[in-house]
Amino acid sequence: MRQILFTSLLAATATLLAAQPGAADPMSDAKAIVAEHETMPVFTPPGEAFDAKACMAGKKVLSIPISMTIPFNVELQKGMAQAAKEVGFTYTTWDNQLKVDQWIQGVSQAISQKYDALDIAGGLNPEVLGPQLAEARAAGLKISTTHLYDVTQEQFKGVDYSAKVDFSGAGKLLAAWAYVKTGGKPNVLIIGSSDVLPSIPFVQSIQSELKALCPQCKQKHLDVPVSEWATKIQPGVQSALLADPTINYILPIYDSMSQFVVPALRITGSEGAVKIASFNGTPFVLDMVRENHVQMDIGESLGWAGYAAVDNIMRMMCGLPSAAKLNVPLLIFDERNIKTAGIPANFNDGYGDAHLEGFRKLWKLK
Amino acid sequence: MTTLEMSAKPAVPVRTPRVNLKQEGERFALVGAWLLLIVTFGILMPDSFLSWRNFSTMFGSQAVLVVLTLGIIIPLTSGDFDLSGASTLTMSSMLIGVLNARDGWGLAPTLIIALASGLVIGAVNAFFVLYFRIHSLIVTLGVGTFVNGLILWISKSQTISGVSMSLVEWVIINRLFGIPLAFFYALLLAAVIWYVLEYTIAGRRLLFVGRGREVSRLNGINVDRVRAVSFIVSGLIAALAGVFYAGMTGSADPLSGLNLLLPAFAAAFLGATTISPGRFNAFGAVISVYFLVTGITGLTMLGADAYVQNLFYGGALVIAVALSQLVRNRQPQEFS
Repeated sequence: MRQILFTSLLAATATLLAAQPGAADPMSDAKAIVAEHETMPVFTPPGEAFDAKACMAGKKVLSIPISMTIPFNVELQKGMAQAAKEVGFTYTTWDNQLKVDQWIQGVSQAISQKYDALDIAGGLNPEVLGPQLAEARAAGLKISTTHLYDVTQEQFKGVDYSAKVDFSGAGKLLAAWAYVKTGGKPNVLIIGSSDVLPSIPFVQSIQSELKALCPQCKQKHLDVPVSEWATKIQPGVQSALLADPTINYILPIYDSMSQFVVPALRITGSEGAVKIASFNGTPFVLDMVRENHVQMDIGESLGWAGYAAVDNIMRMMCGLPSAAKLNVPLLIFDERNIKTAGIPANFNDGYGDAHLEGFRKLWKLK
Repeated sequence: MTTLEMSAKPAVPVRTPRVNLKQEGERFALVGAWLLLIVTFGILMPDSFLSWRNFSTMFGSQAVLVVLTLGIIIPLTSGDFDLSGASTLTMSSMLIGVLNARDGWGLAPTLIIALASGLVIGAVNAFFVLYFRIHSLIVTLGVGTFVNGLILWISKSQTISGVSMSLVEWVIINRLFGIPLAFFYALLLAAVIWYVLEYTIAGRRLLFVGRGREVSRLNGINVDRVRAVSFIVSGLIAALAGVFYAGMTGSADPLSGLNLLLPAFAAAFLGATTISPGRFNAFGAVISVYFLVTGITGLTMLGADAYVQNLFYGGALVIAVALSQLVRNRQPQEFS
């Protein structure tokens, strides 16, 4: 009888454990997340096909990026302009240098030049332009955002459509990567920037995924505003490493932070022992992956992102439902495939060009 | 015949130099505050904060800021502001990125060009300030902004990685007593500036010009030449800081170096309250940089948020200068 009771109890416990999400085999779960992003991206349509040329005939779109001094924005705008050219509508980038007055001028220009849509791109928060966007809307313009919100975030009420980015997915991937690469024993320093809108869900997704994979593992969050990256990241990382020498992984959520992390590792003598993985696929960081200063960088093709952004803007103009997220796959770059990103690396190599064919078909251009 | 009796005692009694406690207290107050910080954080975190690794890290990582601060105190001493210092630093590091990392130039010619860029920017500042008689604040702000545009242009707004590892090794990886060499370069530069300002005619002229241009001119000092040299030397030192910055990060970024301008001025003004109070001085600047970084490191190690660092940085600057003024009976400040 006692034997039967014990066996039943054991079986019940095993069933309960198996039923708990994430508790089965965290290493397999983490490896699966990583593997999903190691293959060459394939195109999946973000929505139903439509005749883009007919719908966008005679339409004018003006896009205001946060700043054209940021290479990311320059490349994203290039991709968007190229997609607009293929479809055949007027697309204008409002060149600016991170100045509120220039953004306001851009909105005024869109209204006075009778544009049909206004896009706020590359990290510019539309709430900064609340009154101006209300005026644009009253003048009949549709308003969209590109590459700003995380998929988990609600858009500002003054905006019609948003091409949201899967920052949370990137966060899960970073956490899974650190877990796999440390053999299931990560002690992670996450570097975030809460002043950047999607940073909060991005960091939270890293934290929650790490907790799910390894509840007892240590993690620390260093929060540095963008304007202070140059002066605060290096000392912050140094102090964290000195206070806890068992830190074995650093996850700067935006890869441009890495240039201030590497010197901190060098000065504290931690280079080699402490690894870096990040997100964005910025060329100089991909070069750092090739030179072995950064272990991994999650990239997104900005040519692809440009087409996906224009796809969502056109859906807004043509009365189709918004895509759930910006149709850009995330690809892992590490020592195995880093050379495909170009030498020196650039924003578009290494991802293939499946998007070109895919979007052309989706827009009925061929 | 007259005999002159010489007294064994001098007519005027020799006064042994007295230590003016108030003056000495003022000179070393910041050093005392620095030690107090070290003791406080040492008690709170004896294992991590008091480790040599921590101190070597603090010393090594702030060398760029120390050198930039030393650059701007030269024109400050002669009564001029150089707001283009951080731009010069960034231009120098970007030239290293472009020429060495991107275009494959050798390190030696790249460094010559990088340092020469500082000389040129300094000379341009001097020309506009002295020939057109425009205030240095306006000229250096304008020239700095112009240089920022040039940096974005030559870099195509991109960060460039892959700076020669030889430079990285000679700045941050090679060590003496466990401290990266960059610290010793900064210390050596501080010693040279201190010696020049204290013990050479050129240095004293710089001080006189800062104290009173008209009086200096009437005393035969070529004021314009002294001010021109101060701008050019400032540009050269800022470019040297750029070389160290490129060596520190192993890359060149068109924007981040610009953030060092305000911390450098903060350190320069804080440094003027210590060692030689009321005067911008090299070792005062060095001590103030390390006082500030000690506080920030300790707070960060204790887990303080980023905003606490700003509270400390700004608060320490204002309180230190205010206390120094109290000791001086609130005399009007005349920095030079």
